[in-house]
Amino acid sequence: MIDFGWITAGAATSTLLLDLGADVVKVEGPGAPDPFRNWEGGPQDGDWWNRSPVFAFTNRGKRSVCLDLKDPRGREAVLRLLDGADVLVENWRRGVLASFGLEPAMLRRRFPRLVIASISSQGEDGPDRDMVSFGSTLEATGGLAALMGAGEAPVFTGRDLNYPDQVVSLFASGAILAALLERDRTGQGVHLDLSQREMTTFLLGEELLAAAAGAPSPRLGNADPTEPAERVIRAGEGWRAEWPGGAAPVREGASLTSADEFKRGTAVLWTPDGKPAKGILFRLASRQLTVREACHPLGADNRAVLAEAGLAEPEIAALEAAGVLSYSPRRLPSLKLQPGSRGA
Amino acid sequence: MAAPLSGKRVLDLGALCAQRPHALAASMAARLCAAYGADVVRPLPECGEPFAAYPPLLPEGGSALDRFLNLGKRRGSGAGAFHAAIGDSASLAAHGRGVPVRVRFSVFGPGEDPPMSELGLLALSGLLGIVGDAEGPPARLAGHQPAYAAGLAACTGLLAALLGGGGEVVEVSLFDVAAWLNWKVAAGALMSGSVPARGGGDWDVIAVEDGHVALVYQDRDWPALCDLVGDPRLRAEAFATRARRIKNRASLMAILRTWFAPRTRAEVTAAAQARRIPIGPVMWPVELLADPQYQTRSFLAPDGMPALPIRLDGERLVQEPAYALSRWPASA
Repeated sequence: MIDFGWITAGAATSTLLLDLGADVVKVEGPGAPDPFRNWEGGPQDGDWWNRSPVFAFTNRGKRSVCLDLKDPRGREAVLRLLDGADVLVENWRRGVLASFGLEPAMLRRRFPRLVIASISSQGEDGPDRDMVSFGSTLEATGGLAALMGAGEAPVFTGRDLNYPDQVVSLFASGAILAALLERDRTGQGVHLDLSQREMTTFLLGEELLAAAAGAPSPRLGNADPTEPAERVIRAGEGWRAEWPGGAAPVREGASLTSADEFKRGTAVLWTPDGKPAKGILFRLASRQLTVREACHPLGADNRAVLAEAGLAEPEIAALEAAGVLSYSPRRLPSLKLQPGSRGA
Repeated sequence: MAAPLSGKRVLDLGALCAQRPHALAASMAARLCAAYGADVVRPLPECGEPFAAYPPLLPEGGSALDRFLNLGKRRGSGAGAFHAAIGDSASLAAHGRGVPVRVRFSVFGPGEDPPMSELGLLALSGLLGIVGDAEGPPARLAGHQPAYAAGLAACTGLLAALLGGGGEVVEVSLFDVAAWLNWKVAAGALMSGSVPARGGGDWDVIAVEDGHVALVYQDRDWPALCDLVGDPRLRAEAFATRARRIKNRASLMAILRTWFAPRTRAEVTAAAQARRIPIGPVMWPVELLADPQYQTRSFLAPDGMPALPIRLDGERLVQEPAYALSRWPASA
């Protein structure tokens, strides 16, 4: 699986499939590393690009290749990688893939068995195709924010959740598996065009049906019309949720991670080098799914991956000498190469 | 890709789950299987479809929740051979024996099913605590997000099991999925000590003439936002960094509101997008029905039914007409 996924929406999709057994090669450019490598805007000293906690959390266990796709030699190398790949994931801004000469239509013709998953905020076409959005922008434009909040104003989840970016990877990973099932039968890959805004609205499907039928769309706050006794109330310094038959504290970070069920659960797991890592969403009866590896440094697998793709040692050395194959970013993450949804 | 699950039979035990979060999650997972072309059979309890009386209710009668979640499913007894079954512990024990792939929802993990609600899952996972204003009460995610997200995860697990050749039990914990979604809060608490807290950011919903817009921007968008608003007070040192903008949020928002308030959502969005600032309008569901982007992409049917949010080589998956399962003849 070749992973051009950035930040969460793309990168977490391939992480989910990694945990299910995929061999994921994350390909970044020396001029366009994943923005998660500099997400907190910390000091750019030493090998800063290998020290981002949110990057390592999300991308643990993937093989890392740093290849300049703007260079024709880099493009040729990535085509060699795609020749042996089952899946390509990308969530760059629409048009960026094509600017590298990697248009999905061309890739479909050249690699008919390849499943290409394009995750974008609006989809591949339409009048709003190039609208820039974070996850929370899509909560607004997708109908979720209007229905949230107990007061006069709508509410969105904000920078620390960016809900659509999290949930899209759950769906995208399934869509890729469905496409692979279909390929088993037909031998044909497919280009999956996934809109995060549509995803957000899909998860409110019943509200769209009601609105189309002329029913109101009330902003319910924390109320549930089927459970009038359900409520969120003050409890000392914090808050407490109550419903018929149960109650629970409204947790924040420390009370969440110190909770017994969190520690026993799989939402966050640990890498072999002792760092917290994006967890795994299911337990299987047949085998235990674990976080097997720590995060690889940028470009750590350059040589091994290209050799597996059939490049000879002199070819690899020439790419290194030309700076097409790299081990560090050339500069700050490019401002021109923002993914369709920049949220996290 | 016509229908990747065509020829597969899936048993939807959502109507037989003991608790509502499990029922919603199982019904969503099976809903996705139906959209992917599986023959989905949904046995009902004696009292009938549990979602038939659930809000939102339709003016002509019936439940929009029922119509949405049961699209493309058949009512049936659960007899016969299936490739996969989706339910909770008890429903799978009663109806899922011998089914090669079983997807089982629990609250905290296999066999751990204390009484739970979606509100409880949001509270315990921190998803409730992170959303809303710092001063006000936490705000729950609208609709059935914790259950639906678990349904999405379960569908991925089910598809992986089918791709692997079948013969699998996929356990999905509703709590684990919710806490997984909230990873930035969890990771912040575990890694750095700088734990995200409700209302602690610099994004906000802001009132405009005809509603609200989502004020969303990155640090690098700040100069463009200053240009957009054109108020020299924004150039003050008090707003020069993200940390200072958060600290001085009340005075910052007061300045911004005066620019936003007399403009429409469309005016604000067009001006912001021209500067590549990711601001967008807060839209109501009824407005989405006529949205040009959704119309161009054939996302919503005339009755509001959303397509699966994906196109395959440019085409939508063909889905059965939008019939509510609870209205189908019982003999189906």
